[in-house]
Amino acid sequence: MHIPDNYLSPATCGTLAVAMTPIWTVAVLKVKVQIKQHRETLPMLGIAASLAFLIMMFNLPIPGGTTAHAVGGTLLAVLIGPWAACLALTVTLVLQAVLFGDGGILAIGANALNMAVIMPFVGYACYRLGQKWHHEKLGLAVGAYVGINTAALVAGIELGLQPLLAHSASGAPLYCPYGLNVAVPAMLLAHLLVAGWVEVAFTLLVFQFVKKVAPTNLYQTPIRTNQRPWLYLLGGLVLLTPLGLLASNTAWGEWSTSELKTMLTQQHVSTQVPQGMVSGLHFKALFSDYAIAGLPVSVGYILSGVTAILIFLLLMRGLQHETQPTK
Amino acid sequence: MKPSQPNKLPTWLAQPTTPVPRAPRHQVNFLARNQRHVQALLARLAQPAPVPRATHWQLTPPMRLLQLGLMLLVISLVHSPVGLWLLALLIGGQLLLLSPSQLRRFIVSWALSSLLALSFIWPSYWLAGPSTLLLFWGKSSLLLANAQYYRVTTALTDFLTALKAWHCPDVIVMTFAIALTYLRMLGNYLLQTMAALDMRTVAPTKHPYRLIGSLFGQLYLKSYAYALELYAAMEARGFNGHYVTVPTTHVRWRDYLVVSPYVGVLLVLILRGV
Amino acid sequence: MELIKTAALSYDYPQTCGLDHLDLTIQTGEFVCLMGPNGSGKSTLLRILSGLAVASAGTYTFDGQVIDAAWLARPAQRQQLHQQIGMVFQNTDVQLFNSSVAEEVAFGPRQLGLSPAAIDQRVTDCLALTGATAFRDRVPYQLSGGEKKRVALASVLALNPTVLLLDEPLNGLTISAQTEMLALLQQLQAAEKTIIMASHNYQQVQTVGDRFIIFNEQHQIAADVTQAELAAQTTRQAELMKL
Repeated sequence: MHIPDNYLSPATCGTLAVAMTPIWTVAVLKVKVQIKQHRETLPMLGIAASLAFLIMMFNLPIPGGTTAHAVGGTLLAVLIGPWAACLALTVTLVLQAVLFGDGGILAIGANALNMAVIMPFVGYACYRLGQKWHHEKLGLAVGAYVGINTAALVAGIELGLQPLLAHSASGAPLYCPYGLNVAVPAMLLAHLLVAGWVEVAFTLLVFQFVKKVAPTNLYQTPIRTNQRPWLYLLGGLVLLTPLGLLASNTAWGEWSTSELKTMLTQQHVSTQVPQGMVSGLHFKALFSDYAIAGLPVSVGYILSGVTAILIFLLLMRGLQHETQPTK
Repeated sequence: MKPSQPNKLPTWLAQPTTPVPRAPRHQVNFLARNQRHVQALLARLAQPAPVPRATHWQLTPPMRLLQLGLMLLVISLVHSPVGLWLLALLIGGQLLLLSPSQLRRFIVSWALSSLLALSFIWPSYWLAGPSTLLLFWGKSSLLLANAQYYRVTTALTDFLTALKAWHCPDVIVMTFAIALTYLRMLGNYLLQTMAALDMRTVAPTKHPYRLIGSLFGQLYLKSYAYALELYAAMEARGFNGHYVTVPTTHVRWRDYLVVSPYVGVLLVLILRGV
Repeated sequence: MELIKTAALSYDYPQTCGLDHLDLTIQTGEFVCLMGPNGSGKSTLLRILSGLAVASAGTYTFDGQVIDAAWLARPAQRQQLHQQIGMVFQNTDVQLFNSSVAEEVAFGPRQLGLSPAAIDQRVTDCLALTGATAFRDRVPYQLSGGEKKRVALASVLALNPTVLLLDEPLNGLTISAQTEMLALLQQLQAAEKTIIMASHNYQQVQTVGDRFIIFNEQHQIAADVTQAELAAQTTRQAELMKL
């Protein structure tokens, strides 16, 4: 799921990196609180980062003779807490990108959003819900599956938006050449069918082992949760929303809306590829309904923004709900 | 210690073992494959610091990181084949400074990663045509070449120095330092556990995932134990929450000189609204 | 009977040498002690004999079969070798990965297709032999260093290997536990098991081994002597005492 460089436009990379800043800041604040109670959390951040590195490197056998990798986002969130997991995974992603050539250097913001934020938090939220309903393992399994698939979906959207956001005057995409109609199904299929289940099996079995052998080494949810950091985070994200529009403006602002519309439709109709293979064309016809043809990009952007905020609010709600009885 | 040994061995143990012959059948040996991967990682981590090149034009670590970032940004923003060609010449010229062994290492890993990039992108031939495919692949290879060049010529610790010099918060620098150190320790531990598992595997594994679960569960517990030990050691040495590194070298005029063309090109690109 | 034979066996680590042209023959039922300073090649030799590492040069023959990378690459053959050779690692931490001591010992026999009753018998016997019955239901992760050593030995014995490789098995054991373990090893030797033990503490092993292979700092064999021969060489004994 590591997005390499050149797939995302620098504007997208920049926007996502800036969007990550408030999340990282809140994570540092939250982890500082955690460190006060469990002081070993401080060195644990670095050690967990190396653990995550090894998890992402480990080949897991899957039926059919091939192998897959787990990401371990949900697992880490459950083991060391979601905020610490966010920081540890970010460190892993940076090390992988800069020193080991796995994932893009410019795309660190995007990869961190997918794998260090969305995945651990979605997974952890499901786990907590499961815990609340006394089906901890079910919650964890659902969390691992939903977590990795949500992350894959967002990665697919990030990639798929590129042909719309950045293309040359002739309509040829400058970065990721796959539109939403290809990127999203491709990312989702691979994760829904294979990687998701691998992640579930891996997460459950490691968790089960730790729970059986040393249950005290699991992350204990703090008794009293301060809601304020969440609000800061959301506020920061809302403030940053227009930034995305500005950033993408430079890429497509030269053309009028009508021109843009024709270009967008051009992208998804086969005029670009007269020499395209028949099977390729069939493939296109199958997915052409997914295209957001005719929808102004800015509207799409705002819609996505509102959706993201809504998802965040729902997440907050989910977490908030179960802390109430402990108060 | 209560002596609980019987005087005689049980009969099954006293008899010689007869190995059960097994029909050779196809098995995926995930352990062997992972052992190779971890070994490669450990070799990479143990790799000695790169041979210093001509000291006159050698940049300080923070400047090298900045240069890498700027270079990647410039390549991302340039879309004309001629521009990319010039950038390729630039990186090619830099490669001349590498020692032969470094160059060979560079070429092998660059070629591999570049082919991998191609495998992801070739379906776009039917979506967007050959010119897009070629341009995209060329740019990807160029980006990979730059990143690879940085990795070949930079010691792992230089990255930490660079982070520190760019005023990264202490906690983060320390986390990176710990992550790099413990990557080696945990990697070693994982490797040994896999070897021990291998030694006691005498039949095809029926539930590989259960084993992997124990393997990583054990690894997590080990990490936790390491964290406790490390914190105790840090406190014992008077750690007060602040991470102090050796003072970084001052940025020299030469560094600015080397970096300024990139900034210039970047400004031109942005002003032109590419 | 000639069980293990190495000819001009060498092993190179990325930066240093591990073993330098080793010629060695070990008979079935021998009790061999590998001695020498730290980093002289004892552990490396054990790794090669166990099939975990492959020599850089030279040949290793086990029971008439040449063991090389190609032979080990076949999982079925590798597993057959591991059924005959058991190894207790220096760092027993890495060897215990199950969630209870009983599970740990049952891990090997379970793969042999034995009946549940036979597996349980083996677990009980092995734990009794190693004096680990008391912690049968405990978690290996939480045991002390010495307890882990016992469980590791029990888990290896449960497979009934022909050859037992032990890397510093006495470290972390109390004096009485050391005596117990050495007595057990001698019983195993009496049952025709071959025992190869690496140690740097001569005092502990001087009475049990019938053959001593002493490594020097250059990763070569400095001496290959029987217990009686070594007892006559006072200067060498004094050197070994200092290790």
